[in-house]
Amino acid sequence: MKKETEARVIVFTSEAEMPMMPASVASTLYNKTGSWRYMRPLYKNQTPPCNAACPAGEDIVMHLQLTAQGRYAEAWETLVRENPFPGVCGRVCPHPCESECNREYLGGAIAIHCQERFLADYAAAHHLSLPTTNVPQREEQIAVIGAGPAGLSCAYHLRRMGYQVTVFEAGEKPGGMMRLIPEYRLPKEVLEREIAAIIALGVEVKTGMRLGVDLALKDLQGYAAVFLAIGQSVSRRLDVPGEDAVGVLHGIDFLARVERGQKVDLGKKVAVIGGGNTAMDAARTARRLGADVTILYRRSRAEMPAIDEEVHETLDEGVKIEFLRAPVAVLTANGRVRGLRLTRIELGAPDASGRRRPVPVAGSEYELEFDTVIPALGQVADLTFLSAEVQTERGRIITDEKTATTRLPIFAGGDAATGFGTVTAAVGSGKRAALAIDSFLRGVERPFPDLAQNVQVAPRPHDPNVVRFEDLNTAYFEEIPRPPQDQRPAAQRVTTFQEVNLGYGEDVALAEARRCFSCGTCNECDNCLIFCPDVAVLRGPSDDEPFVFNYDYCKGCGICVSECPRRAILFAEEIKFNDQ
Amino acid sequence: MREPKTYARNYEIPEEELTYSGSVSCPGCGATLAMRYALKALGSNTITVIPACCWSIIAGPFPYSSLTVPIFHTAFETAGAVSSGISAALDVLGKKDITVMAWAGDGGTFDIGLQALSGAVERNEDFIYVCYDNEAYMNTGIQRSSATPWMAWTTTTPVEHPKEEPKKDIVAIMAAHRIPYAATATIAYPEDMIAKFRKAKGIRGSKFIHVLSPCPPGWKSEASDSIKLTRLAVQSKVFPLYEIEHGDKVTINVWPKDGGVPVKEYLRLQGRFRHLSEEAIAAIQAEVDRNWERLVVRAQRVMGNE
Repeated sequence: MKKETEARVIVFTSEAEMPMMPASVASTLYNKTGSWRYMRPLYKNQTPPCNAACPAGEDIVMHLQLTAQGRYAEAWETLVRENPFPGVCGRVCPHPCESECNREYLGGAIAIHCQERFLADYAAAHHLSLPTTNVPQREEQIAVIGAGPAGLSCAYHLRRMGYQVTVFEAGEKPGGMMRLIPEYRLPKEVLEREIAAIIALGVEVKTGMRLGVDLALKDLQGYAAVFLAIGQSVSRRLDVPGEDAVGVLHGIDFLARVERGQKVDLGKKVAVIGGGNTAMDAARTARRLGADVTILYRRSRAEMPAIDEEVHETLDEGVKIEFLRAPVAVLTANGRVRGLRLTRIELGAPDASGRRRPVPVAGSEYELEFDTVIPALGQVADLTFLSAEVQTERGRIITDEKTATTRLPIFAGGDAATGFGTVTAAVGSGKRAALAIDSFLRGVERPFPDLAQNVQVAPRPHDPNVVRFEDLNTAYFEEIPRPPQDQRPAAQRVTTFQEVNLGYGEDVALAEARRCFSCGTCNECDNCLIFCPDVAVLRGPSDDEPFVFNYDYCKGCGICVSECPRRAILFAEEIKFNDQ
Repeated sequence: MREPKTYARNYEIPEEELTYSGSVSCPGCGATLAMRYALKALGSNTITVIPACCWSIIAGPFPYSSLTVPIFHTAFETAGAVSSGISAALDVLGKKDITVMAWAGDGGTFDIGLQALSGAVERNEDFIYVCYDNEAYMNTGIQRSSATPWMAWTTTTPVEHPKEEPKKDIVAIMAAHRIPYAATATIAYPEDMIAKFRKAKGIRGSKFIHVLSPCPPGWKSEASDSIKLTRLAVQSKVFPLYEIEHGDKVTINVWPKDGGVPVKEYLRLQGRFRHLSEEAIAAIQAEVDRNWERLVVRAQRVMGNE
């Protein structure tokens, strides 16, 4: 019998029409068993936890899946559609995505930052240029103040939407705080390349233009919108006697001088005060300049805000960390630093940040000798030039979830507004501003989630529900360990500014991408198709719709739902579809 | 039609579908899925023989069929005899490239059809006999068969008097006939199942394949759990996947991962075992472990000789 593709109903009107013996003459396709169904399976991608956690709103699962197929250029394009700094972020981001990764329970989280870096390095090696958008040019001029990650991300996304963008930067070169990240973590070449790619799209960058000095807010009235991304450039002070002595050098000032190639005389013994990434950067840089470095931190290891790997690398390089110590005075001789008076600290009740509050132990003070003291206690924004119309609160510019300040069309983002303090968060903030400015100028409504969540330029259709480990069908996953990343040995590192982490090669990156569960995201494993008893799952018409249900026959058994390894199929009550 | 992507695929399985949608099997029916795999493996040059069983109904009411290949509906006890006859007729006609597959339930195999089956395989007739085993007479209302497991509920073995006899070891009975090929298979392992059907197709003589097929109404299990249940049946060693060639050479095809899972995980998903006491579960576990060890010893003897 030839295979039938359409339902045929057979009606015998006389005995003569019937076959000689009871043999079938048509298929069961006449019987639409879909009417039995009270639960309906639906292909609906869910939110992977990594994507939900990425401050820059990258579609991590999608670029991993493209990498898994060896489609590196497309993977990179997926990445830069949301974030123009994959080379930077792949190296310096604290990767909150990996903390949420469901692979953690079966061999360790996917090394997402290494994958991101691999794609950026691949694009550089193959001279890939940023994909251009085919949108009409718009006449509106937009001013972006500050060429840090937030400002450049905003400029990039606005330019891709067709706007004319001018970025005003106070420093000599664009890059902002990214420029102060030491060479051994982020080679300048990587930063320069990614900035140059943005400029190549037609973004104008004017350096040496400090807002409040070289230019005032009222000079920007010709612009259709202004985005303030001025960052936090003023170092927090120690607030102890002697802090203005020669030999006290704030962390970012020290790093800036090294970056500019200026000679810095540190002497022999250096104290770095603080427990964040700037403290680690300053300590490791001082170590490379030949100093004997001690980090003094007022809380314990658990409270340190620096990235865990950074702390390990710092210790490996022979930097000492003394916990529960705080300076009470900088000791001076002839106006020069000669040491520190320190007090021991106990941890009290948790404070507003949720960390335990440091309390000095009475009578525990002692003195240590140092030639240089580098405080790295974080920075605050310089907001003195702002007019009263742009309101601030506790050192930050007030914005709503659309990055709008109290004075439209002025928008603000990055550290000066959010205080999130990472490159990746700033990239996300700049993108949010670009989308908000576009909505504002075109008068269109667009949903903006809370500032703690991310935004995407090109979101795939997906359900907001985040996939957790217990949602997965782990029968289809083996436990496979996460491959380590090659590192330069510590003894070699302290003599040079060459990059510490060496990244993944292609073989490792490919294998690592294949280890991804692809949470909530169909990757055509075929389980639903293969396990359907009723042949009611068919291959779909396109990559966006790899499978379709034949609801004429699907009985709603739910096997496809429970055998989907990655929760990319929902099960909904049929009654909800009755009126369709 | 789009070509399937292969980078994330879990299986290599033929694309061609030889079963139709619209059959009247219950949602989540293991036997329906088993037929789909079997025909994918054997191809369209196949004649099926179906005695009285669930599949007599699933195959469609007159004048409809849910298969693209010919079906002979026959009496309950006759699958072995009818298959022998078709095989002989094909031989007379000189048609050597057609596979004859008897497709019977556990009632038609373990109980009612055993005599005809034994006779046919003793003569080493050239056909594949498949028993899709849902462990009771499901189609007539869940009466116990000799394939029903010890202590299981059925309508004729109610919880006050659950079944007191252990499940008959049908593969051992078939192997005792020294047939060229006897194997177990199940729907959670489609590649293993398809490989076994293909292997059977390539062998002349009698082949027997025992397929564990969940029945959500009869097992009192969730329709969506049918794959999970058979996976657990294999991983808990309740239903090991193995093959026996010429009655002697035993090969275990799927070794439980990390030493397997307790039988309790398999039993607790099925309402027919809900009444089991901890002692009964422990007794089942002990029996399963004993059978598994015996199987491993037989398989290792083969491995040692090779």
